[in-house]
Amino acid sequence: MLTVKHLAKSYNGTKKSLTDVSFSVSPGEVTVIIGPSGAGKTTILRSINQLIRDDDGEILFDDVDMRQLNRRQLRDARSHIGMIFQNYNLIEPLTALENVLHGCLGTKSNLAGMFSLYRNSEKTEALQLLQKVGLGDFAYQQCRNLSGGQKQRVGIARALMQHPKIILCDEPIASLDPKSTTVVMDLLRDLATNDGISVLINLHQVDIARTYADHVIGINNGQVVFDDRTAALTDTAVTDIYRKTTSSERSLVYEG
Amino acid sequence: MKVDVKAANQFFNQKRLRLTAIIVVFGLAYIGASLGLGFQSRSLLGVQDGIAWLAQNFIPNEASKGYWTEISQQLLRTFLVAVASTTCTAAVSLFLAILGAKTLAVSRSISWLIRGFASLMRNIPIVAWAMILLFSFKQNDLTGFLALFFMTLGFLTRAFMETIEDFGTEKIQALQATGATYLQIIFQGLIPEIAIALMSWILYMIENNVRDATLVGLLTGTGIGFIFNLYFKSLRYGAAGLVVLAVILLVVSVELISNLIGRLLS
Repeated sequence: MLTVKHLAKSYNGTKKSLTDVSFSVSPGEVTVIIGPSGAGKTTILRSINQLIRDDDGEILFDDVDMRQLNRRQLRDARSHIGMIFQNYNLIEPLTALENVLHGCLGTKSNLAGMFSLYRNSEKTEALQLLQKVGLGDFAYQQCRNLSGGQKQRVGIARALMQHPKIILCDEPIASLDPKSTTVVMDLLRDLATNDGISVLINLHQVDIARTYADHVIGINNGQVVFDDRTAALTDTAVTDIYRKTTSSERSLVYEG
Repeated sequence: MKVDVKAANQFFNQKRLRLTAIIVVFGLAYIGASLGLGFQSRSLLGVQDGIAWLAQNFIPNEASKGYWTEISQQLLRTFLVAVASTTCTAAVSLFLAILGAKTLAVSRSISWLIRGFASLMRNIPIVAWAMILLFSFKQNDLTGFLALFFMTLGFLTRAFMETIEDFGTEKIQALQATGATYLQIIFQGLIPEIAIALMSWILYMIENNVRDATLVGLLTGTGIGFIFNLYFKSLRYGAAGLVVLAVILLVVSVELISNLIGRLLS
């Protein structure tokens, strides 16, 4: 359902961030991308819904190349792709309910979206989604008063409001404590298994990848160095994914 | 563990030396400027006589009480001009700031154009604005309103633009990812997120414009500034003193009220 072919991207025209990245994501599976900091994981994820414009390659989502779409088509394609972030990126002064409803902006007319003219069916669905992520009692709380784990669950509900075929997760647990991490990862796993949504996650934690992923992609220095079922992710393979290749890569790691 | 105390001493000595050098430079600058102006530092010693004269003449007396009605009327007018010009400017500024903010990236050249326009407006002193506008709009409240409008426009556009840029691109991207349109992102994301910051800029600007409106009135012959000038020139110092007192009262109460509103909002 999502196939990335020969994706390439460089920043400032010189430093190559991605050289030749190809992989595919199957429906209803959790796919995890692991690799060292600066390997290009975020660039890959954001190229998929074209928040970052890549230089070359193909991104086939339901057999349509995301890179060839015009503005209106891109907006429509994006509305089927949910996304959650490390920093949640909620509108903090608004309530959880309003943030979840932002998920249906892509299907609304300009004016209706601008002035929060949501249908009753949309409001009902948003409230149900908040219950699904365990935040039924927090619908009218301002998001700035929620904890990190709760914010991320609002983020997931916002993504679900889009009726997504795939959810992109950019380091979803990097700012969370262990307990919230489990809650969020269990929720994402459940969406893949029970709702048939594909979940593509950037992660730092190899152990979490082993627990939750069906399929693992290892990225090092802008290239795919591992692409297999989770069972094949041996310790040797992990060492290989995280090995330092070039001197520029090494300096990045040392600087932290 | 062996540590080098000598190096630490040297570090602090260097810091002290630098501070002394800075103080010496400022002292020399004062001396140089005084010599250039022919300003006698000795005349500073006579300052208390001037202050005593002020205190004797400007204290409002029994006779100046009769002016109170007129003063309060003009004070209200001045206050209203300041409020009207600030709120009106705020709407225009927000529009310009959204167009000009780099993070929303409508177009790079529009951004530079608005930035340039804002800094031009802001860097023309309010007094110059009032005097320029006086030629075409004559002595009335509109002139004062416009003078405040242009200066505030420059200031608020710049302030709003920085507020919007602080908001960052991450949250904009999050809404783009849902398929939201540009205007939906502005209304559903940007404005709720920066509303409190905008309010505090507007309140600050109202405070500031109440003060400036007094000065502008003096030049455009309207409001509280005008009657101050009138009383002063006709040697009614007591009444002029009362005007000053009234302005101080107004400015302080506007500031207190705006602090209160700011606290209620956050």
